[in-house]
Amino acid sequence: MHRPPNKFSPPGGFRRADHQIPYLLCDSREKKSLQCLRICKEYSSEVLLQLDPFLNELTSMFEKSKEKGSVWVTLKRSSLKSKLQKRKLSSAGESIEYRCLIRATDAKKTISTSVGAKDHQRFQASYATILKAHMTALKKRERKDRKKSTEAEKKQGTSTTTKPKKL
Amino acid sequence: MVYIVSWDEFVDRSVQLFKADPESTRYVVKYRHCDGKLVLKVTDNKECLKFKTDQAQEARKMEKLNNIFFTLMARGPDVDLSEVNGKEQMETQSVKKGSGRKQ
Repeated sequence: MHRPPNKFSPPGGFRRADHQIPYLLCDSREKKSLQCLRICKEYSSEVLLQLDPFLNELTSMFEKSKEKGSVWVTLKRSSLKSKLQKRKLSSAGESIEYRCLIRATDAKKTISTSVGAKDHQRFQASYATILKAHMTALKKRERKDRKKSTEAEKKQGTSTTTKPKKL
Repeated sequence: MVYIVSWDEFVDRSVQLFKADPESTRYVVKYRHCDGKLVLKVTDNKECLKFKTDQAQEARKMEKLNNIFFTLMARGPDVDLSEVNGKEQMETQSVKKGSGRKQ
């Protein structure tokens, strides 16, 4: 049966292979997931690094995003294995080793690393240091100063705030 | 997706969420230096808990939460959280802002 050619049909008409392509993908789940992975990689290439280079890159990301932009850090538990590998391991009776996957992005590039049970404490310390050093734009609230300023207001008898503050 | 106001509630619910589904729960931190804003999100792709702040003291609390999640994710959801430094002290003692633990 011939379908009339329109602007959406491929030039030269439909070939049998074109119809088969979706079926080839559905043929094996592994092929499909590999295809998806390849497509994802084309759009956003995520670089998997070792712990220390990851920390260095993270630092530079924070520094670059000082004037404008955001830094996202995602933590997720993962075994870094595909569903097929997991199924094979569980059927063989082996335990799947899980790691903590850490991703960082500044919307331009994405870096990632994975941390196991042995090195997570060392990583945690270095990571905390980096955050402390860079998250400096947040407001620092000193309660003692607030107390003094509200007490001084009470003494003067002029209160700009309508809500009375309980201390 | 509602922003949770209480920090402790956010921590408790996010740990609960993770323990219920460790495979799909993720913890995201977004920091904008230009706006001075920090947003935390914990989601299992069904439920989403968010917390936003611009206070430096919340950032210090976030570090403790980071430690909790690192331990949970690297070692497993069944790990005893009292091993995490500072978590046990936080739970047993009442948290007083501005005063040290040793008096």
